[in-house]
Amino acid sequence: MKLVTAVIKPFRLDAVKEALEAVGARGMTVSEAQGFGRQKGHTEVYRGAEYQVAFTPKIRVEVLVEESAAAGVIDAIVKAARTDKIGDGKVWVTPVETVVRIRTGEAGPDAI
Amino acid sequence: MSLLMTTMVHAASCGTNAVPGSPTACSDLSWLSPGDTSWQLTAATFVALMSIPGLAALYGGLVPKKWAVNTMMMAFTGFSAVLVVWVLWAYKMGFGSPIGGGTANTYTYHYGGNFFANLFNNFVGHPETSLRGSSEITQATLPIGTSVPLRFSTTALFYFQFVFAAITPLLFLGSVLGRIKFKVWLLFVPLWSTFVYSVNAMLMWGGGYWAHEGALDYSGGYVIHLAAGTSGFVAAWMIGPRLARDRAKFVPHNLPIISIGAGIVWLGWNGFNGGDPYFASADAATAVVNTNLATVSALLVWVLWDMFAGKSRKPTFLGAINGMIVGLVAITPAAGYVDGSGALLIGAIASSIVWFAWTFIQPYTLKRVDDAMGVVYTHGLAGLCGGLLVGIFADPSVIIYASTGASKKALTPFAVTGWLYGNRHQFFLQLFAGLTIIVYDALATAVILFVLKLLFRGLRMSDEELEVGDLAIHEEEAYPADEGYTRVGELAGVGASPNGPPPAPSMSSTPDLTGGVR
Repeated sequence: MKLVTAVIKPFRLDAVKEALEAVGARGMTVSEAQGFGRQKGHTEVYRGAEYQVAFTPKIRVEVLVEESAAAGVIDAIVKAARTDKIGDGKVWVTPVETVVRIRTGEAGPDAI
Repeated sequence: MSLLMTTMVHAASCGTNAVPGSPTACSDLSWLSPGDTSWQLTAATFVALMSIPGLAALYGGLVPKKWAVNTMMMAFTGFSAVLVVWVLWAYKMGFGSPIGGGTANTYTYHYGGNFFANLFNNFVGHPETSLRGSSEITQATLPIGTSVPLRFSTTALFYFQFVFAAITPLLFLGSVLGRIKFKVWLLFVPLWSTFVYSVNAMLMWGGGYWAHEGALDYSGGYVIHLAAGTSGFVAAWMIGPRLARDRAKFVPHNLPIISIGAGIVWLGWNGFNGGDPYFASADAATAVVNTNLATVSALLVWVLWDMFAGKSRKPTFLGAINGMIVGLVAITPAAGYVDGSGALLIGAIASSIVWFAWTFIQPYTLKRVDDAMGVVYTHGLAGLCGGLLVGIFADPSVIIYASTGASKKALTPFAVTGWLYGNRHQFFLQLFAGLTIIVYDALATAVILFVLKLLFRGLRMSDEELEVGDLAIHEEEAYPADEGYTRVGELAGVGASPNGPPPAPSMSSTPDLTGGVR
């Protein structure tokens, strides 16, 4: 089993969700995040005081998949989240030892 | 000291504005009523509060987070821009001497005379600066004449009329927000006040054609709300739609803020309608009670429609707020002309009509014209409903002691009679006056925006700016994050350093504000 994690631009979330459903992902977890990468921060001005704001708002998407489905899910996210502009985000995959569905106690791939 | 000041005030009140034939003597202030003056200024302040913070909070909460600052900013700047033109020329265009000749009190209007001569001679007032020197403390007069001389100063009337002029562009802000260029807004508002609002005000209140014919608009159902709905709709069409993604998902970002804004708008309306008799009088109290009767009726009726005919059959808070606004708007042209049951009926009827239009017609208009907040329904259609309904429900036993339109009858205390009480003529006066406002305001708004479009090479922000919203336009956001901010410039590094402990405090008597970091 794999955990696919993606950090994307917030307004691409709807497109990514649709793409994930299209490739058969059965769930996703979404959280608000902030960070920086190659896209540097921006400037804000409050009452004449100028600030460099280091972090840009992003959305973190996490999807649990069976090993065989990981490549398709990554591909779907990359295509849906891409705007070809700096700050489009990243996708990475980590191995997962075990997964349990809390309601039923099912474990392993059945719990995905 | 106080004796000296009183003497000075008396001397300065010898203006040229005294009402001819009134008992006002040049050297005394016996015309001034502290009660009337207090209520007029209080009512005006209530109306001003409806704009800021009322509409700023209502619209600011109704937009998504990324548009909150821009929306509030347009409310505060629009309010400001109106007062500048109001004092420089626009007040006199709405309430001064008509361009066709004659002075404020002697119109070149002939009943049954040439329609076009009557219309154009009294189309708008001479643009002149208001409040020059001593005129500020003279007795207020209405260009159309009053049955009883007003008992407050010109300044009080000027400010009371200003807050109405100011709220109107802020209402159609709801149609154009989320894409209009900020620079365009800054010019659109004063131009609209000059060429549209002042004409509306003269037409219905200042002594223009429909004021003379006897069409009724108690507090601005036409001059303000039908005007805002019409102009907003035309402006939304000319500016073009919001970003497609914003249109698909324009979820209000803060309902508690909406509740604060909407509450201020509602109770501010006590000044809106209660101030228009120009006296702290029984009419004022009647208008306040009617305003609240129509509003509770419209609010509850909208909620009932939502519960029994809405998509989800659920009562919704934002539905209640829509109903509230419809009731307030619909009673505005009628507040002092109907009795309590008339007010309840106007609220219920207008709310039902607008609910059905909102539910079944808006999906079609929204595809073609992106009136973001549906102002053409909650203000335009509601104002028209109220304007027509006063032609039906105006009750002759409700007597008005001062002039607020209907000038033919204004020389003595008067009452107006609607269709229900046997005067069908009033309904048709209301209909044609409403159509005049719709046609003129739509054309004039289109012309103003056509010129601004050439001047600014477009009325709409770039797609890049629309993606980002507040941050791109103002470099501010409604809810800045707690972390990640580093001060740039003079005070950079004060108090914190991202890479270590704060710099040691300087022992010198003049602290080093740069903290050694530039």
